[in-house]
Formats: sequence, structure tokens, C-alpha cells
Amino acid sequence: MPLPGSAEAEAQRIARGLRYKDLAVINELIEWYQHRLARYLFYVTGRRENVEDLAQETWLRVLERGTQFDGRSRFEPWLFSIARNLAFDQFRKRRAISLDTQDDTESHDGIPQETAATNHPSPFLMAARSEDATRLAAAMDLLEPIYREALLLRFQEELSLQEIADVTGAPATTISSRIYRGLAALRSTFQEGGDSLGV
Amino acid sequence: MIRLECDQRFRELIDRSFVEEVSEGERRLIHDHIRDCDGCKRYLELTARTIRGLREFTFISEPDSNARVSALLAHHTGTMRQHHVQFKVWAAFAMALSMSIVGSALVYQVAKLLTVPMRFDTAQVQAGVLVFWLLPSFCSALRLLAAPGENRGTA
Repeated sequence: MPLPGSAEAEAQRIARGLRYKDLAVINELIEWYQHRLARYLFYVTGRRENVEDLAQETWLRVLERGTQFDGRSRFEPWLFSIARNLAFDQFRKRRAISLDTQDDTESHDGIPQETAATNHPSPFLMAARSEDATRLAAAMDLLEPIYREALLLRFQEELSLQEIADVTGAPATTISSRIYRGLAALRSTFQEGGDSLGV
Repeated sequence: MIRLECDQRFRELIDRSFVEEVSEGERRLIHDHIRDCDGCKRYLELTARTIRGLREFTFISEPDSNARVSALLAHHTGTMRQHHVQFKVWAAFAMALSMSIVGSALVYQVAKLLTVPMRFDTAQVQAGVLVFWLLPSFCSALRLLAAPGENRGTA
């Protein structure tokens, strides 16, 4: 999907900055995206203590592979896909090291699922700041990680279906069905709470 | 049954209106439908509430994390540039060295043609090429390695 004019100019500027390792551009990117990157990694890994290391590693990878970003699409999906790959690489390495601990489990698509069935506090419960968010947090923990990730990328990071598809490597149709299923599961949280749909 | 199917169709449309782009006509269709259908109206409200709830998860970053990442990348950029400069220096040296060798070989071939008219023997020509061509050009190539060293990493 082509970018609108101003967004394309911005993406091209970022691509140029990364190609020439322009520190001013890189610092701008950190200012804009570090928080979102850390948030995404926190929800994907479910571990607060890993987030900063992974975010730093992601930025180093961005710097090293800067020439691969061509500026024809937005920067965020590219950034999130690097972060996602690094998070999964780390997860696989850790699992290879401690196969016998049963600390981590893996679900569809190799997405780490570390919060359910472990002692880590739910990242969603930690992040919930409203009554509705607290009710959703429990449902989010029970949701398959692939649905959770699609929902967060769509509604927190505001990525389009195609961009989420680029991040996850799944077709856009699969992404949309994951979002609909995820929404249905979360909606039932409120329905069970007495808010029936009246059908 | 017909009502249920109709609701299902509208509920899919409501979901789609939150997730993807829908046309203005479809948006108006939803709007008109929920005026008469409490179930779908409730469905739309619950979906909106669910999405609002998702957006209400807040994440607090580590203090100074931006500054730490910036410092790390500034250091890494410096290191990468230093390696880049070193690579360029070695590439230039390799190029100069090969030109020196190829040039010397060419000069030797030309000088050999002059041995008869100038009455030089081969050993004299070889010594001449070595002293007046190969050694100076080799020293010039070596200087490429030494000269930029003072400024390496500061580019």
C-alpha cells in the first residue's frame, strides 16, 4: 500500500538518515519510538526485566541494517518486526539453555507465552489503569498470544492490517480473523459481567 | 432466525468498521440499523468499550531509557565509522600496492626495450626499476596506512 505524500517524504528522510547513520535522525527515532518499542516488547515477552536490553538490541540492529529500510513503507512495522524477531530468538535461546526448567512455553507461530503458567505477574494487569482495562487484563492473559499480539498492534500501535501482516509474516486475512476472534473473546468479558447483547 | 442472520451480518459489519476501512454507505447502514436494533447497538457499544479498554493499558518506560539508548547508539555509530575508515584505508592500500606492482612491471617491460640502444644490462634495468619505481611507489602506498591513523575514529 503506497504511503501518502507527507508520510512517504518522512519515510524517505528516515531511510536516508539510517543509510548515512545520521545521529540527529537516529535520536529523533529514539525519541518517537523507544516508548512504543518498549511497550510492545513488554507485552510480547511478558517480562519487564528483558525489555530494555531487547530494545537496545533492536536499535543496534536498526543501525546495522539501516540500509535495508527503503522508505517505501512506514518505519514502525519495520522496527516492530526486528524487535519481534529478536524477542523470539532470545526466547528460543533461553529455552534451549533451560529445557528442563519448564519455565517457558511456546504457542502458535513460536510466540513466547511466558506469563500464563509462570510466576511472572501479568504484564496487562500491571499496565491496567482503569476498571475496564483491569477486567480485560485477565482475559488478555488467557488469550492465545497470536490474537493478543494482533489486537495490540492494531489498537495500541495503530498499525494497519497489512502492516501487522508485515510484522508477523502472516497474511492480512489471517490477521483480520485473529483480531475479530480476539475481540469476540474480550467482548465476552463484559458480557459475562452482566452487559448482555440482548439477543 | 431471519433476524439473527441479519444481526450477524450487521455485527460483522460493526467489527469491520473498527478494524478496517468501511465505506461511507456502510457506516450509514450501521447508523440506521442501530437506531432500530437494541442488540446491535449494545454490540457496537461493547466493541467500542473493549477497544477503549485495550487502549487504556499504560506502560511506563524506565527513566532515562531514551538517553541510554541514544548514548549506546552514538558510541556504536562512532565504532562503525572507525571500522569504515579502517576498511577504506586498507582498501586504498591494497589498490595502491597493486598499482605499484603492475606499474613496476610495465616500467620494467619498457625499460628492457631500452637496454640495447642505451647499452644497459638487465641487472642495471632491474636495479633502476627497483630503486626509482617500485620502492618509492611501495613507500607511498605504505604512507596511506600510516597517515590517517592519527584521525581514525574521529570522522
